[in-house]
Amino acid sequence: MADTDQVAEADRLAATLEGPLEHLRQARPFAKPRFQAQVLDVVGRLLRAPGGIEKLHLLAPRMDAAGLFAGSDWDAPANLLPGLVSGTLEHGAPASVSAEAVSLLRLLAVARGETEHPGIHAAAARRFLTQVLALNMRRFFGATDEAARAAGTQQTATDALFRYLADHVGFQDVLGELVDEIWRILRQRPIQVAPAKDMIAQIAITLSERGGEVGDRRLGADRLVSALFGPTAACMGDPGLERYRERLAMMDETDLRHEAQGLARAMHDTGLVSDYHAAFLLWVLDTEHDGMIADTLGLGSTGRDCLQQHRGLVIELIQRAVRPETAQALYGLSLLLDRGILHHGPIAPAFRRQLELAPCPAVAERLSVAGLHVAQPADLLLAGCIQVLGQPLGVGQGANPTCQSARAIAMWGQNDPDYLLHLVAQAARMDTVLMHFEGRAINSGALPEGLAIGAPLDADPVSVVLVPHLDRIYAEMGRLCADRNDDPHIWINPEFHGWWVGRVCAVAVDVPTGALAGAEDFIARFHMAYHPDYNGGEPVIHPQPAGVAATDAAGRFVGWHAITILRVAPDREGEMRVYFYNPNNDSGQDWGKGAVVSTHGAGERFGEASLPFETFASRLYLFHEDGMRPAPACRPSQDILACVTQEARKTWAAGRQEISGEAISRLAATEQPA
Amino acid sequence: MTEKNPDKGYVAILGWSPNAIDAIDRFDRRYVIVAPPWAEDYARANDIPFIAWDFDRLNERSHEIAHMLKDEGCDVAIPLFEETVEWAGAINSVLLDNPRLLGQSMLFRDKSLMKRRAQLAGIRVGIFEEADNHADVVRFLKRVNQTLLKLEGDPDDPIHFKAFDKAGCLGHRTIRTVEDVDSISGDEFPALLESHLDGWEFAVEAWIKNGKIQFLNISEYVTLGYSVFVPATPELESWRPRIEAEINKLIKAFDIDFGFIHPEYFVTNDGTMYFGEVAYRPPGFNALELIERAYGFNGYQGIVLAFDPKTTQEELEAFFPTPVEDATGHAGCFGAYPRRRVVERMEVPEDTARDPYFEFHELAQPMQQKVTKRTAFGTHWGLVYFFGEDPHRLRDLLKAQEEVDFYV
Repeated sequence: MADTDQVAEADRLAATLEGPLEHLRQARPFAKPRFQAQVLDVVGRLLRAPGGIEKLHLLAPRMDAAGLFAGSDWDAPANLLPGLVSGTLEHGAPASVSAEAVSLLRLLAVARGETEHPGIHAAAARRFLTQVLALNMRRFFGATDEAARAAGTQQTATDALFRYLADHVGFQDVLGELVDEIWRILRQRPIQVAPAKDMIAQIAITLSERGGEVGDRRLGADRLVSALFGPTAACMGDPGLERYRERLAMMDETDLRHEAQGLARAMHDTGLVSDYHAAFLLWVLDTEHDGMIADTLGLGSTGRDCLQQHRGLVIELIQRAVRPETAQALYGLSLLLDRGILHHGPIAPAFRRQLELAPCPAVAERLSVAGLHVAQPADLLLAGCIQVLGQPLGVGQGANPTCQSARAIAMWGQNDPDYLLHLVAQAARMDTVLMHFEGRAINSGALPEGLAIGAPLDADPVSVVLVPHLDRIYAEMGRLCADRNDDPHIWINPEFHGWWVGRVCAVAVDVPTGALAGAEDFIARFHMAYHPDYNGGEPVIHPQPAGVAATDAAGRFVGWHAITILRVAPDREGEMRVYFYNPNNDSGQDWGKGAVVSTHGAGERFGEASLPFETFASRLYLFHEDGMRPAPACRPSQDILACVTQEARKTWAAGRQEISGEAISRLAATEQPA
Repeated sequence: MTEKNPDKGYVAILGWSPNAIDAIDRFDRRYVIVAPPWAEDYARANDIPFIAWDFDRLNERSHEIAHMLKDEGCDVAIPLFEETVEWAGAINSVLLDNPRLLGQSMLFRDKSLMKRRAQLAGIRVGIFEEADNHADVVRFLKRVNQTLLKLEGDPDDPIHFKAFDKAGCLGHRTIRTVEDVDSISGDEFPALLESHLDGWEFAVEAWIKNGKIQFLNISEYVTLGYSVFVPATPELESWRPRIEAEINKLIKAFDIDFGFIHPEYFVTNDGTMYFGEVAYRPPGFNALELIERAYGFNGYQGIVLAFDPKTTQEELEAFFPTPVEDATGHAGCFGAYPRRRVVERMEVPEDTARDPYFEFHELAQPMQQKVTKRTAFGTHWGLVYFFGEDPHRLRDLLKAQEEVDFYV
C-alpha cells in the first residue's frame, strides 16, 4: 500500500512538473529564469521521491531542450568540470542541487544514446560521468541503507543519484574503467595533473577501505597510487614528509641511490611526481648529496651533460621551483634537461632573467589565485616555465575557448623556447605583450578582452600569464583582416607564430559562403606538401599550425579547431600517420565515422595525437606550406582524392554547398605579387 | 518573436514586466515596450522592441511620448502598473483621438475620486473619507466606532487605510488602535480611510471590449493579502449574475469602452455588495497566472486583445473560454511571510510539501535574519502555488498555510 502511494507520488510530481516545464519551453530567453526556478523546485521533490530519479532521467533531455540551463554554466556541458559536481550536490542551494542532478541525468541520457545534444557527444558525456563517479566512489560503493534512503534526506538522495548513475553508465567495474582512463590521460603527459591526482586519491581511499572487492583490476590502480603516495620502500605506507626525512637520514649511500632511482622510475612511468620525490631532491641538496641529482631527476645522457654544464643554474632552479606543493616541476626539469635546450645559447641567460624577475602586482595576483597560493608568484611562474619547456605538448587550454593561445605557447615551447621566455618576462613585468602584425604594433594591454573573459584559472602558470594577452592579440589580428573576405588565419598564423609557418595557405572552405571549395585539389596539395611519398621524402621540419573541422562522435560538425602538425611518419605497421598536437586537454577524441584519434600505441610520443594520413586529411580545412620550392611531380591518384573528399562530405562538410575547381590558396601578404 | 499579423493592431506596453513581455512577444500583435531607460540595454540585448521613457512625473512631456508613439504607428497604449495608468490615458486620448480617456484615467488613479464617482453612479460603497494627516485617521477611527455604538472599553472595529496612489495591497493597512496610527509614516498621506466590512471579500478580473464584458473571473480571497484562488467556490460563483450586473454599472459609471479592470468587492452577511476600488491594469498577486493555470489562456494576451482597436468579436470569442465550466481545476497561491522575529532559512513545511495540491513555490531564502514587522498587505516574501479539483479543500489548505512556518 505504502509502495503504491510512493510510486503515485513520483507520478504526481512528474505531472506537476509538466506545467512549469511547458511554460519554460515557451518562454522567451529573457523570461526563462523564473520558470527555471519553478521547474527546479519540483525537481527537488522528485529527486527525493521513490522512483523520482527514473522519472527525471526520462524528463531530463526535455528539460534541457526547454532551456532549463539557459544562462548558466550547465548550458555548455563540454566545459563542465567533474570536480565541482559533488560540492554542488552537497553544499549547493536547493535549485543548484536540482540543476546539477538534471544535468547529470541528461548527460546519462546522452551517454546511453537515448538522446543527442548539440554541445556534447556520447563518448564525452560518458567520460564526464565516469570521472564524476570516480571522484565520488565512496558514495556508491557504500552499502545501500534503504532505511536512510526512505528518510529522504539530501545526503541519501545524492547517494541514490550516484548509485543510479553508476548502475546506468553501464560499466561493471567503475574502478577498472577509471584506472584505464587515468592511464590514458597520463600517457599524454599533461602539465595539469591535479584532476588525475584527485581521482587517484579517491582510488587510494577506496582501495584501502574495500580493496578486497576490487578484483584483478587492482594492479594498474596500485601502480598509480604508489607513484603518487609511496613509490619506494622508504615512503611505503605514506608516512608523511617529516617521518620520511627521518628515514632518509638513516640511510646509507647505496640505499639513497636506490631511493633516487626508484622515485625517478615511478615518475617516468606515470608522469606524476610524488611529494616525497620533491622532498627527496631538496633533502639531497640540503645534505650535500649533490651527486644524486642526476639519478633523482632520472636523467639520460643529454640531461646529465646539461646538468654538468649548468650545475649552478639547475640547483638554483630546483631551490626556487621544486617543492612538494609544486612537485610536478621536477618532472618538467628532468625533461627540459634531457631535451638539451640549455645548450642553446639564450636559454640559460633567459632563465637567469626569470630567476630575478618579480611579476607586477596584477600578474602576481593572477598567479597566486590560479596556483592556490601554494608558493610565491615568482616561484610558481618559474616552475611553470620549466614545465612548459620540459613538456611543451603538455600545455592544455583548460575550459577556455583559447585553443590558438594554448597552441602558440606549446609551439614556442617546442620550437622557439627563448622567444617564449621573452614573452613571459614581458607579460610578467608589464602585464602586456607587444607583437607586430604586418608592421603594425599591437599592444595587448591596450586591447579589449578577446574570447576569454578574464584570465584562465584552470591552466598552467605560463598560460595564466600569457593567454589573456595572446587571446586579445589574436582577436585584434582577426579584426585587422576582417574585411579581406577570406579565412583570417591565412595572415594571422605566420605573423602570430613565427617565420617558420608557411606563407602559402590553402583553405578548403569559401569563407563568404561556407561552401566546400576545390576539395580534391586541396587534398592533393596537402599530400604534396606533407606526405613523404608525394613531397620527395621531406619530413615536417617545424611544427605547422593547421585547422581541422572538429566533429562529434557522430561525425557532425562542431566547430573549427586549431592544431599543430608535428610529424608525418609511418607507424610500426607501416601506415603513414599524421602526428599532431591538440591544445584540447584530452586529445583522445572520437571524431566519428571511424576517425578515432589515437594518443598511445600508434607510435605517438608523449603529448602527440595521431590519425592515419588520409583520415586526417579528410578532417583538415586549412594548412600552410612554404611555396618557395619546386612543385613536386607526384600527385596522389584520383581514387585517393575522391575517397578522402567523400569522407569530408560525409562528416563536417555535410550539407555544405560545393565549389569545384582548384583549391583556395593564398599568399600571406597584404598585396598579391604581380 | 512570433509571426506578427500586420492587419492587427500595434500596441505600446507601458511598464517593464518580463512575464508580460514574454507573453506578448509570443502573441501575434506587433508591440513596443515603453519603459524606463535602465531597461534599455537589457531590451536591446534580448531583441525586445523598446522605447525608453521616464514615467516618474506626468508633465507636458506626456504629449511628446503620445506623438512619438503615434508617429511610430501605435494604435493603443496598455498600462502594466498603477504608475502608468494615467500615462496610458494621456497617450490613448491622442492615439484614439478621444480626450475623455485622460479624465477617465485620473479617476482610476485617485481612490477618493474613484469612490465618489462610483457613489454618484448609484454603486454602494462603505463609509470613507480622505485623510491628510494622523489626526484625520484618529478622528475617523473614533467616529466610525461611535456610529457602531461601541462603549468605552469595547474593542474598536478596525478601519482600513489606503495610500492614494499605491497599487493594490501595497499601501493598505488595517488600523485597530490609536497606536497603529502612529506607525503610519508621513509619506503615506494623502490616503483614503474606509470603514471595515465583515463579510466576503473578492476581486474581479474583467476583460472589456465595446463596453461589454468579454470574460469575467472571480478571484476568491481566503484571507486578504495572504491567499487567493480561481475560479471561486460554487457559493461565491452563485453570485456571478449579480456581480456581472455590478461590473456593468462600473463600466457605465467610468465610461469604459475597452480594456481590463480589476475591482474589489465585499459581500456582507446580509447579502449586500459593496464596491471597494477598481484598477485599470493587471492585478498583483499573479492572478493572471492563476487564471492561466485554471483556464489555459494567457491573461496578458487577453489584455492586448481587449485594448487593440482592430480586434474582432470572433477573435474574442475564440480566445476566451466559458467561465467556471472550462476550468480544469482551481488554482491558488499563498503569500508567505515569516511568523518568527528571527529566521535562518526558508523551508517548505513537510505537510505542505507532501500535499498533492502543492505545485511549487517562489520563496526566496532570507536576506537578513531579523524580520521587520509586516506593515502593509502585499509585502510577502514570495508565493506558494497550489492546484486541485476541490475548491473547498483548496480554500482550507490555503487557510492552513497561515498557521505554518515557511521561514524557520
